[in-house]
Amino acid sequence: MTSPPHGALQFVSRLVDQVEAAQTADALTTAVEQLAATRHPLAIPCLIQVLGFNNPGAAGAAVGGLVAIGRAAVPAVLANLDDYNYGARAWSVRVLAAVGDLRGLETLERALAQDIGPSVRRAAARGMGGLQLHGEETAQRQQLGERVLPQLQAAGRDGEWIVRYAVAVGMEGMAGWWQPRSEHLKLLQEALQPLRQPTSEDVPVVRLRAELASARLLHHVVVAANGMSS
Amino acid sequence: MAAPDSAGSAPPSAGLAAPINEPRALRWLRQTEDASRRYYAAWWLGRMRSGHPEAVPLLLQALGERGPAASGITAEPNPVARNAARALGKLGDHRAVAGLLEALEDPDDGLREAAARSLGALGAVQARGPLLRRLASGPSVAGSQQPGSRRLVEPCEAMLEALGDLGMVDLDNPRPLLAVIRPYADHERPVIRSAACRSLLQLTGEPCWGERLVDLLQHEQLQVRRAALLDLGATGWRQAAPAVAATLAENSLKLIALRGLVEESPERDCGGVMPAAEEVALLDTMDRLL
Repeated sequence: MTSPPHGALQFVSRLVDQVEAAQTADALTTAVEQLAATRHPLAIPCLIQVLGFNNPGAAGAAVGGLVAIGRAAVPAVLANLDDYNYGARAWSVRVLAAVGDLRGLETLERALAQDIGPSVRRAAARGMGGLQLHGEETAQRQQLGERVLPQLQAAGRDGEWIVRYAVAVGMEGMAGWWQPRSEHLKLLQEALQPLRQPTSEDVPVVRLRAELASARLLHHVVVAANGMSS
Repeated sequence: MAAPDSAGSAPPSAGLAAPINEPRALRWLRQTEDASRRYYAAWWLGRMRSGHPEAVPLLLQALGERGPAASGITAEPNPVARNAARALGKLGDHRAVAGLLEALEDPDDGLREAAARSLGALGAVQARGPLLRRLASGPSVAGSQQPGSRRLVEPCEAMLEALGDLGMVDLDNPRPLLAVIRPYADHERPVIRSAACRSLLQLTGEPCWGERLVDLLQHEQLQVRRAALLDLGATGWRQAAPAVAATLAENSLKLIALRGLVEESPERDCGGVMPAAEEVALLDTMDRLL
């Protein structure tokens, strides 16, 4: 955050005023970018409001700002999930996916299974694999993995190649938090299998990404084994 | 380049959007009373890449159909024939080539456009001569605007792209081909310039055309930036990856373009199961855009 001249509150509220006063799409985007750059929790309500403005440039900047604020923004994003504004909901899912907070998981699950927008489903798949867990017990991580994996597997049959691509990325990401790791790496390898095979996956870039995920998981095994022996 | 698949061909209208299956699509295309059903069925068979033996013969029959759709679900002329032409390009069956070559000579420029794209997709090198003949008069004639319309005399974008897709196969002397395409790289419309640069990059591999496409990624109009993204993807010119990732456009389109850089590159080793180091870098770039 740039050093505020007269205290954080005045600084952020001046930038909020600029967002509200913006007359053109470009001016709005610029004002939102400046507000987002503060990464200040006081910016959260205004950034969330911008998600509903139907201005992709500004909404993208607001997503960036909310993601940078991170976990502190999650409750407000969840409280404002607007079922009547598809655009705002889609942007909110992107925020939750990028932050990876467990409180957003249900929203991501619903989006992955039901959202009509492939860009929303792809963000959800990536986000479900990239959960950022802090201090959860092994038992809880185990349960979470058992809950998330079948949903990613189902999304591995999505009609859109980019969703299947994101599923491969998500499965790779799960190895970062699913415990105990050694047991689950095998399950993840099996789940990746259909995305690696030309008989079940016809898009080359999806197969390549799944192959890369599989190779990286194998590396995880090696790293884990070395860790144990030392 | 035109918008991707979903927008490029006509989506079904709400009234007809009931889920249908292959037998019903074939039945709808077989009947002749209801043109809007024929229109939808033709679209469906292409979209679903039908492999049914009857699909291509029925679509070829539909390709000969002229006149508006009965229910008026679309304003375009010859909608059944246009959708049939689009579908035939997706089915990869060379029995379609003769019919599409005929459609390339139709007075309806929208039908010529669909036929050109499909002939390019089928790799039908027989189309090269007819395409060149139509473009030979250059940007000032074939590339000029029709009176009272935004449309060009020839569907230049589709035709230039088809020539690029056809490549140099069965071509002894590429010079006349390149001489026809090159002037379009200076066409007044940026999307035509983009199509010409794409085609020239595919045909010659000369980086100067890739650099001009990268310049178009900075164009002030979003529509032009989108076209240049898709055109770069079609060429597989991997040097463009950082510029693609930084373009002001939807991530969805950047991801399509990056997929193209992975899959369409001349450097792609199709036998290789594991991505090469350069491809891992491209995949990492894609991951960040999800």
